[in-house]
Amino acid sequence: MTTVSATGTARTGAMTDRRLRIAILVLALIGVGIAGYLTYVHYQGLKVLCLASGGCETVQASRYAKLDGVPVAVLGLAGYIGILGSVALRSELGRVGGFAIALIGFGFSMYLTYRELFTIKAICQWCVSSAVLMTILFVLTAVRALRDEPATA
Amino acid sequence: MASRTKQKEEARARRLAEERAAAERARRDRRLRMVGGVVVLAIAIVAVAIAVSSGGGGGASGLQKGATSSKTVASVSSLLNGIPQSGATLGSPNAPVTMTYYGDLECPICRDFTLNGGLSPLISHEVRAGKVKIVYRAFETATRDPSVFKTQQVAALAAGQQNRFWNYTELFYHEQGTEGTSYVTQAYLQGLARQVPGMNLTQWESARNNAALAAQVASDGQAGTTAGVQGTPTLVFTGPKGQAAIGTVATYPQLQQAVKKVS
Repeated sequence: MTTVSATGTARTGAMTDRRLRIAILVLALIGVGIAGYLTYVHYQGLKVLCLASGGCETVQASRYAKLDGVPVAVLGLAGYIGILGSVALRSELGRVGGFAIALIGFGFSMYLTYRELFTIKAICQWCVSSAVLMTILFVLTAVRALRDEPATA
Repeated sequence: MASRTKQKEEARARRLAEERAAAERARRDRRLRMVGGVVVLAIAIVAVAIAVSSGGGGGASGLQKGATSSKTVASVSSLLNGIPQSGATLGSPNAPVTMTYYGDLECPICRDFTLNGGLSPLISHEVRAGKVKIVYRAFETATRDPSVFKTQQVAALAAGQQNRFWNYTELFYHEQGTEGTSYVTQAYLQGLARQVPGMNLTQWESARNNAALAAQVASDGQAGTTAGVQGTPTLVFTGPKGQAAIGTVATYPQLQQAVKKVS
């Protein structure tokens, strides 16, 4: 009886861990898409497709669009790629590393959203989407880092 | 006998279970400590990033005084002296190529382009040589208050009535304040005007009430929207071979390439 239930829990644990990793993977891929698009647009000097009129150009023209000369889109892209890499790692490093990147991304996204709302007073939907993604990724990677490892070994 | 063996086995099983539980606890503790460490590290990194983002910026300092302002005025004068100006246009009216610069005086990226990007070398070479003329058009981006935007832009155009628009604009960018702060006051605008060599301040003040200049600011914005401008700086090159546009902080080689494309 005990053995059956033990393998049962191990199996559901592995399943949800798998689901968790898939969810992180999908969200990080969307993030790579958004940040990649913004990075591309930045270096090509193209216009950003912007639904809400006025928002994106104001945010783009702002000094908060760069961190010490590096466009924040590039930082975001690096972060999403890092999280993507952490999903591929099944080790402790992958779990904790992914969580660390998502936490930094989440913290900085919150700061940028604060700047958009209260300093620049303009909102760009690309930035908001990225902030929402980072928030969800922060929660998911935290769950992945904190909970018991699935008994796969 | 059988019951003693059973007891022994049970004791062993209990011990094993306890050891497993202890190992599990130790692993969990280790993980919690690691996650805790990561949280502290991440917060530190975010704090540094916020400090870098909030502080300094492009060296935005507001109106300069004393020796600093004399140095700025001298460098602007040496850039512009001897180049014809008319209203918001810099350069020979017969120049074959026109670069329209859509900008916002409070926009830090425009400041970057004007002071550290390709604009200064373009003025020193192509514009000075009469190959290119630059027309500045007002396009509101970084300035949050439309009435402030109009006031500061009219102040620059009023300087343009004395063919000193570009001196005023360059000084504005040099002495641009921190974005999002209300540094553009009457004292700031008048302080800039006083720095422009040879400016007649009485004439400048009366030109600031000229309704035609306010109308020009409005029509600049409309022209930008019609041209599809979405951000500043946006540069539109017009020449015998057509048009080219750059929507970023362009370097001198990028500007030269665009000039070549349309001439």
